[in-house]
Amino acid sequence: MAQSSSRSKPSVNPLLSKFLEQLRKVGLSAAAILIFLILWQLFCMSPTATLPGPIQVLEDTWELIIDPFFDNGGTDVGLFWQILASLKRVAIGFSLSTIVGILVGMIIGSNRLIYDAIDPIFQVLRTVPPLAWLPISLAAFQDSQPSAIFVIFITAIWPIIINTAVGVQQVPQDYRNVALVLQLPQWKYFTEILFPATIPYIFTGLRIGVGLSWLAIVAAEMLIGGVGIGFFIWDAWNSSLISEIILALIYVGIVGLLLDRSVELIGNFFLKGQQK
Amino acid sequence: MSVFVEVDQVDKVFTLPGGGEYIALKGIDLKIKQGEFISLIGHSGCGKSTLLNIVAGLDQATRGGIVLEGREISKPGPDRMVVFQNYSLLPWKTVRENIALAVDSALHHQPKGDRRGIVEQHIDLVGLRHAANKYPHELSGGMKQRVAIARALSIRPKVLLLDEPFGALDALTRGNLQEQLMRICQEGNVTAIMVTHDVDEALLLSDRVVMLTNGPQARIGQILEVSIPRPRDRMEVVKHHRYYALRNEIIYFLNQQKRSKTKFTPAAAVARHGLEKVNLNLGFIPLTDCAPLVVAQEMGFFKEYGLEQVTLSREPSWASVSEGIRDDRLDGAIMVAGMPLAMTLGVGGKPVLPMITAMVVSRNGNAITLSNKTKAAGVRTLADFKAFIDSNSGKEVLGVVHPASMQNLLLRYWLAAGDIDPDRDVEIAVIPPPQMVSTLKAGSIDGYCVGEPWNSWAVQEELGFVIATDLELWMAHPEKVLGVREDWVLKYPETHLALVKALMNACEYCDDFRNRPAILELLARPEYVGAPVEYMRPGFIDPYDRGLGQTASALRFNQFYVDRTNCPGRGEALWTLTQLARWNLAPFPKNWVEVLERVRRLDLFSEAARSVGWPDIEPPLAPFALFDGITFDPNDPLGYLEKLAIKRPFSIEEIPLQ
Repeated sequence: MAQSSSRSKPSVNPLLSKFLEQLRKVGLSAAAILIFLILWQLFCMSPTATLPGPIQVLEDTWELIIDPFFDNGGTDVGLFWQILASLKRVAIGFSLSTIVGILVGMIIGSNRLIYDAIDPIFQVLRTVPPLAWLPISLAAFQDSQPSAIFVIFITAIWPIIINTAVGVQQVPQDYRNVALVLQLPQWKYFTEILFPATIPYIFTGLRIGVGLSWLAIVAAEMLIGGVGIGFFIWDAWNSSLISEIILALIYVGIVGLLLDRSVELIGNFFLKGQQK
Repeated sequence: MSVFVEVDQVDKVFTLPGGGEYIALKGIDLKIKQGEFISLIGHSGCGKSTLLNIVAGLDQATRGGIVLEGREISKPGPDRMVVFQNYSLLPWKTVRENIALAVDSALHHQPKGDRRGIVEQHIDLVGLRHAANKYPHELSGGMKQRVAIARALSIRPKVLLLDEPFGALDALTRGNLQEQLMRICQEGNVTAIMVTHDVDEALLLSDRVVMLTNGPQARIGQILEVSIPRPRDRMEVVKHHRYYALRNEIIYFLNQQKRSKTKFTPAAAVARHGLEKVNLNLGFIPLTDCAPLVVAQEMGFFKEYGLEQVTLSREPSWASVSEGIRDDRLDGAIMVAGMPLAMTLGVGGKPVLPMITAMVVSRNGNAITLSNKTKAAGVRTLADFKAFIDSNSGKEVLGVVHPASMQNLLLRYWLAAGDIDPDRDVEIAVIPPPQMVSTLKAGSIDGYCVGEPWNSWAVQEELGFVIATDLELWMAHPEKVLGVREDWVLKYPETHLALVKALMNACEYCDDFRNRPAILELLARPEYVGAPVEYMRPGFIDPYDRGLGQTASALRFNQFYVDRTNCPGRGEALWTLTQLARWNLAPFPKNWVEVLERVRRLDLFSEAARSVGWPDIEPPLAPFALFDGITFDPNDPLGYLEKLAIKRPFSIEEIPLQ
């Protein structure tokens, strides 16, 4: 009833109705989380349960939650430092793949010959799982740190290349005609038309890429060790600290979500004036 | 003015994926003067946008090319700026930035300050100052199109190309933008080519409307001169007396194209009785002098000669008769005397089409009617009319039925003889005969020259009076002729002969005054003239009433047979050629002897005449004179033109006849 009346008079107070709409959404998802937690707790109440329930998790990891910044040297540091270390790797690897990916995408997108030649290779390589790259990069770099970064790089680059290339190919003929009629020089065509027109596609690629790199870093760190959220999970498993694993998983999920949203935000900033 | 843009024999062929070819455009030839506004109109898919893209350089012609100011075009350039159908604004740039991009790249040699000034000036030109910093998605369709126009004009293109610029806009916005565009083009003397499918838009904006036929192999079907004076106003232009005639002509053309789109095929020839084709479709215009055609049909003359399935097609205008012949819808028609000659010369932007006239169907039968306004002013003679025009500030408008009609040529001759320049002192408008009286009544024209019943109609309804009949101007001038295509005659020679013979007999029947009351009963039927009998009687049966209180006997007012009416003499046709050249309706053919031999087929007339037992001799090619006494010598047509004081500059050209 309330909903239908607010729909029939949307102009009464748009701000208020928008706020109520948000409140409704938050309330709904809070309820869903609550139900999930209750179910989880119920399933883990039986004495034969192998996993701890949410209350148990909270009790076990309380110290980690309230103090994410402790530093006892070595790998014994707070979760903040663990996540920061992983993010650093992602930042380096992802930045590299952004630069290389956009450049390569632009080149192969604007040249049909190169595109037709290289596209099959890319199609094969992009399906290779991130971790499969790890042994070969360890062999190549002889060191765990650059190997992890390389895995991020190689994982994130394919969607960036492919989306950029498609974006370049999809520049509407209308915009090309404008450039043709105005006789824009090559560099001006790139900066004024090709690049701006490709931005929506590039950001689609970047969002997929950043998600994939976050997936890859957790797995890679489990194998290479050192400070990082991936190794933290592996370490907890070795010490049978299941509650810590669950806490880390929640943190990984939230950080992944934040990464995705921040790329989207940056994209929206660049897309100013364009209708999405 | 010299040619500015020339589209030279452009063909466009697309290669189909299956390996076939699609010929989109075929032999497009168009010359455009500087400052001219041209509209390309035609049905969807006729290739008008392709043609525009070829001019823009965005598409290449398969054969032929585009010449701009004497230089061939090979690629796009800012001298031919395009206003695209879907605006093509860059969405990541504001209004100002979009215009600035064009200005900065096309006018890069100018100092930065000047370029900024140009951008701001054009934002103001289209009234978008308040939206200068907005992005395209924040603008309405009309505003976007204004930006596109501003962007196009800002770089001072030599030619502005518009591809259905207002197609996606609502009626109100469209009207406003049309007026803005018209004002800008006029102030800047912009040469423009616009693709449109809106007839009213084309008429409002254009100097010439180029009508394209349907593809494949689209060609220019017709070019219409829009002689409505500028500056034009959207509301005023529809009141112009020519507006509806022009509009009808375009709509007629488009309808014809639609009909041919639905696979219009002429009926297959039915051969019988030794004739190649007995099923004929003959065109006529509702006028009293179509009597021989109606008589031949109703009194059985066609059947007598074996033409069993003749259909008479009542046409809306002479233009539709000419189109019907051109696209084979009509086998033949009763035409105004100059029309077969004009079609053979390719008058009015149409291709040369050799026509044959084997007989004249009627002589005389026209009159010049003037409005009550002139009657009230005491105008009774040509001299009075001259004085009336001189004392009157506004231009009088006079209607005629077709550029190549005797009505046009005689009216002009009459005016010029009275020292009235028909192009400068008055205005001559083409209006189909059945619309004359209503146009006079509406006050859009001040008089006309037309056949009956349309003069007597005006007289009897007291809408005007007859100042002159053609009996006074040129007694026994050829008026209506039988016109058929030359290739049609080659295909159906026996049929053509039978047709001529049947009409000869009908003409003889019509000139027996005992038959005339019965003929009028036939003509009064709605499928023929459809006018009340009393409007058709003057001249045809009764003495002629000029609407000035007295009547005069007019025995020869409609002459169908007597005095060798039907012989298609060459002298009178040559006179027609001189007059077409005199008013620059057609070039004078250098090969006029050949043109006359081909069109006026005395041999075919003689053959028919002999077989119905008539004398077949052509009257000697002797000099004659019209009412003003200036002698026309058929051996010296150009000398005659020299003697005529008022005339237009004309060209003398060889007419290529295959």
